[in-house]
Amino acid sequence: MGRIYAFLDDRLNLEPLVRAIADHPVPDHANPLKTPKALMYCFGGIAFMLILLQIVTGMFLMLYYVPSPDHAYASVTYIQDEVMFGSLVRAVHRVGASAAIVMVFLHMMRVYFTGAYKKPRELNWIAGIFLLVIVIGFGFSGYLLPWDQKAYWATTVGINLVATVPLVGDFLANVLRGGSEVGALTLVRFFVIHVMFLPALLLVFLAAHFFMIRRQGISQPL
Amino acid sequence: MTATIAETTTSRRNFLANGIKAIAGFFILALGIPLTGFTISSALKKDKHDWIEAAELGDLSDDKPTRITYHYRRKDGWMTTESRKTAFVVKEGNDAYTVFASRCTHLGCGLDWDATTNQFKCPCHGGVFDAHGNVVEGPPPRPLVKLGCKIEGRKLFVMEA
Repeated sequence: MGRIYAFLDDRLNLEPLVRAIADHPVPDHANPLKTPKALMYCFGGIAFMLILLQIVTGMFLMLYYVPSPDHAYASVTYIQDEVMFGSLVRAVHRVGASAAIVMVFLHMMRVYFTGAYKKPRELNWIAGIFLLVIVIGFGFSGYLLPWDQKAYWATTVGINLVATVPLVGDFLANVLRGGSEVGALTLVRFFVIHVMFLPALLLVFLAAHFFMIRRQGISQPL
Repeated sequence: MTATIAETTTSRRNFLANGIKAIAGFFILALGIPLTGFTISSALKKDKHDWIEAAELGDLSDDKPTRITYHYRRKDGWMTTESRKTAFVVKEGNDAYTVFASRCTHLGCGLDWDATTNQFKCPCHGGVFDAHGNVVEGPPPRPLVKLGCKIEGRKLFVMEA
């Protein structure tokens, strides 16, 4: 490890980069080793680790999952019952999804109650709101994919909620469904939203979020 | 004195760095092992063939091969496909049977039993096999494929090789 790093550093001058990324002192009020209640400053980082876990387990689940009404449920059953560690990997992805939403929400509450959203950090709060919507979108789109009764009806109800939007509601609902009924097109749509569109948005907003926190630093204590 | 402080500072720094590496290593292992198993698991699976009930012993002819049909279920990942297959059962003695797949070893055409010459004939390219499945003439490169078979309670079961 050390020799590989020395080799790369010699050629690419990595040291300043590594220092800039890794060497940032955490103020005492945000350091759980100094003040235990500073653990609440870790919620965002924990949410990020959970999101990484979701990306990794999701990638692997895609090895077996098929987004078609004929095969979706059978392929999930196959993962669950026949693939080695299949039920574990799916359980991690499923529980990790709930945990990620919980941590994102706790992180938001910490930022709210410590007033960390105030000037100059308004833009980062707004990026965070986008991230919250994206993470909930992940949860909603992923819920349909096993294509069982719960998935089907949860999606039906969710889309009916969208349909109550004034004027454009029915149109929006049809766009989400890819037609007038929850069916084959809806499943593919939700799958692609889940594994392509949302991850792309997530990366953009996470990058912005992290860039801003590093530029502005952690907010002062109350 | 100052040197000692510098030393302890460095060692504390190293200690924490090593701690981070250890935690990262734990996570990489805890994820890596299941995910590796997950990925290679379908490649490690052996094709499983089940015994298929193919015929009643009473329906089989004593002196000439009997054509039987059976339903063959093939598992392909989460999909199961069922196909109808035919085979010939040759009685070799008391409760001793040989089952040949009705499939020419040349290009896979279905075979017919010719009762006048006591031979299996392939309608496609003139392949001919005797009653024991050996090639008599024509292009087939190998004898007929034998299926596994067993008798249980007056019923004949076959298994795809």
